[in-house]
Amino acid sequence: MNDKGAILPAENGVEAAVVGWLKEALNKKVFDALLMPVQVPAGDSFAYLLLQNPALLENGSPLPPVMPVQGARAISRLTMRGNGSKRIAAVVRPCEARAAIELTKLEQAHLDNLWLITVDCPGVLPLSDYLDDPAAGAARFVEASQHWDRAPMRPVCQICHRFSMPASDLHVGTLGSADGAVFVIPGSPKGERVLESMDMPVDAALDDWAAQVKEMEEAQTERRQQAHADLRAGIAGPDGLLDVFSDCINCHNCQRVCPVCYCRQCYFESAALKLPPENYLTRSKRKGALRFPPDTLLFHIGRASHMILSCVSCGACEDACPMSIPVAQVFSLLADRAQETFGYVAGKSLDDPLPLVAYEMDEFHQVEQPYVEIYHKREVQDA
Amino acid sequence: MSDEQEFEPRIIYFLCSWCGSGGGETAAAHHLHYPENVRPSRVNCTGALPAVHIIRPLIEGADGVVISGCYPGDCHYNDGNFRARRRVALVKSILDTLGLEPERVWFRYVAHGEGQRFVDTATEFNDHIKKLGPNPLKTRSDT
Amino acid sequence: MPEGLKINKGAQEAVRELLCSLLESGRVNGVLALGRTRGANGGVAYSLFTDSDAFVADGAALPFLPFMPANAGGLLSRLTLKGSLAGPVAAVVKPCELRAFIELVKRSQGSLDNLLLISSTCGGVYPLDVGANGGLEERLPRYWEAVKQGEVDSDVRPVCRACVHFVPENADITVALVGEEDLDTQCTLFLDTEKGAAFVKGLEGLQGTSLSGELETEPIQRSHSQRAAYREELFAGVEVGMQELIRTFGRCIGCHACKTVCPICYCSLCYFDSQDCEYLPEIYESELERKGGLRLPPNTVFFQLGRLAHVSVSCVGCGMCTDVCPADIPVSTIFSKVGTSVQALFDYQPGKDVTEEIPLMTFEEEELAQVAT
Repeated sequence: MNDKGAILPAENGVEAAVVGWLKEALNKKVFDALLMPVQVPAGDSFAYLLLQNPALLENGSPLPPVMPVQGARAISRLTMRGNGSKRIAAVVRPCEARAAIELTKLEQAHLDNLWLITVDCPGVLPLSDYLDDPAAGAARFVEASQHWDRAPMRPVCQICHRFSMPASDLHVGTLGSADGAVFVIPGSPKGERVLESMDMPVDAALDDWAAQVKEMEEAQTERRQQAHADLRAGIAGPDGLLDVFSDCINCHNCQRVCPVCYCRQCYFESAALKLPPENYLTRSKRKGALRFPPDTLLFHIGRASHMILSCVSCGACEDACPMSIPVAQVFSLLADRAQETFGYVAGKSLDDPLPLVAYEMDEFHQVEQPYVEIYHKREVQDA
Repeated sequence: MSDEQEFEPRIIYFLCSWCGSGGGETAAAHHLHYPENVRPSRVNCTGALPAVHIIRPLIEGADGVVISGCYPGDCHYNDGNFRARRRVALVKSILDTLGLEPERVWFRYVAHGEGQRFVDTATEFNDHIKKLGPNPLKTRSDT
Repeated sequence: MPEGLKINKGAQEAVRELLCSLLESGRVNGVLALGRTRGANGGVAYSLFTDSDAFVADGAALPFLPFMPANAGGLLSRLTLKGSLAGPVAAVVKPCELRAFIELVKRSQGSLDNLLLISSTCGGVYPLDVGANGGLEERLPRYWEAVKQGEVDSDVRPVCRACVHFVPENADITVALVGEEDLDTQCTLFLDTEKGAAFVKGLEGLQGTSLSGELETEPIQRSHSQRAAYREELFAGVEVGMQELIRTFGRCIGCHACKTVCPICYCSLCYFDSQDCEYLPEIYESELERKGGLRLPPNTVFFQLGRLAHVSVSCVGCGMCTDVCPADIPVSTIFSKVGTSVQALFDYQPGKDVTEEIPLMTFEEEELAQVAT
């Protein structure tokens, strides 16, 4: 499916081309509605809009400069309790599509009557940078993204190596579009049918685009590995780790904006951690003092233990942190290591079972502590 | 007396209600002893032990956590121990990445009749933790 | 005239020593106060201290640091939610935090038993982003100069500049800070209650002279007028009307962080997070038919109006919500403004009197005639 694509002319730029194509699809009733980022009335942000009125596409953007709401959250809200009768196309970034796939596996979204449409992604600006001056931010984003310059983007966007086609139904390949055209690549039979009904033949070779994507992926992978190695050196151990989280005020923004953290009531806000005063005083006595509210570190490590295998390194958490803690950077490091341990890539395919749901009889023997037969004779050996 | 010998580790030993606790009972029946500072804590099945409860003791005062349950294939609930194994792998990955000594967490099967193995595990882990020293995380007041 | 105790030491030092003595003498089992976390970044957090050594060491307590990482009213609720304190614990809190706690006690979310409440006249706190990454240190000299003159540093939270409730009520001990020019060398503690006096009387190592004095000095009254004027200006600047609200909250990402940090919002499961707001696809589709477009996640402005309906009657204007908003929306200005009107409507002052019922929990047979048509 991936070796051929349809051509979409883009003389006026990628944005105009994609919006035009979506408008056409809406008018031709290929889709009943679109879910995509639209500029808000005050012009100082973007919000996901479910729309069927093509006029609302005027302010729509398939690749806005910021990601205030992670698209998978919007998709989950919409489809949590099932799909309706309307055929909806969601225009999202690759990490948002991957999160949507994870949420579908977690039964928090349903993709049956929904088409995931993605675009090659240069990253997004950190929200606070953009909000300082939205117009300047928008210009900065356009300039940087044209050259695939990730310097102004979120730190985790800077090291993203999954910026191209995920398991979406349709993907707009823009890398290397020199002659004013981009590719629309089907990723599923559902996607193929769309192109068919729009009379867009899937007959253009993708070699050039694929080669450029591969080259960039390799470069980004190297950057990512270096960044993670540097980060790990700085945060490993209680001192380094607690330095990173010393400013944390327990607002739980990171958990709230995370697309994969879907629990209505987070464990760390539940009655399980609301304890009688004696508990807090005893713990304080043991340590000399007790940070209040307690369980700051437990929240972060515990949250990681709950969602890290589905983390798509989107960076929503870090954007939302009021204390500028590099949460996404730490979590993307944890995610890469944990997912690698399980041979799993979050959001890669609906067919990959969730690692904590699946299991084999014969695996992870490295976790089992080997038994030294003669230990009870008190001879200590290397276990 | 060296410092190492003066340090008495605080250890939580999670045992499933079937094989794990059974191993404990068999040990008792044979009058086998294990160090008193190792504190058993019974869960229904190792698969029912949330990851958070492996992490929380290490922040709040434990120097080590051991988890013992049925061998693969013997779980009373069919596959709880497989889930536990994966969960422990996940927790160890997180602790390792954060430099928080994953070797303070052990996962070892103990069958119902393996009283000696249960006692050996408790003793061996106790000695292992003594060598590692006190858990630096537990005295931090800013966790 | 309230009884006071004048100590010949700078305020921060004097109070720290007082708290230390209270701990060492066993008169209290613990102290809740601001302090530095041990990290090199110089993070500031509230801590429950039980060891007087820790009190002065690494994670040193800094009771009057102009910073509010969490509203301590919510923290006191957390401490006493599942039961009253068995033994005394002292807490150093700001006036709005104390008022928030009183509001929570009225809602059965905490208990005043065995709490020694120490507060101060308040010069405001800096926004969270100022304090992140150790940015507080360089601000302190300027801050304290302003406080001494009875003024408010212009860089503190806007709602702090506009706060007219900066003299605490319901404290057991109030430390005079605002308008006290010799703050660095001496400080006055007002023993507002018998409890406060009892804890302090005869405390070893505490040397001070008794005096009778008025907490509300002339600088305080001046500060009050200045702040009241700014308050009017601040509230007048809020754009009202449905279109304006849609514009203001256009940036809102529905993270609900404002709700999480609000001390009054105590619900374990907020209505807006509950299943009531998880709509069936048919609902979305019929709304879409009706309007042509539908923002997702939904309920952006509804959440704000709903939260106002739930908490505005008790809003103490602490400003946590604005600080924590990732979209830079001035939530606390709007909530304070609405809160003030609602409170005036019911002639109610949050946090003033723990025996006074919350307006929505009580009624008179004859009142609010203007509401019914």
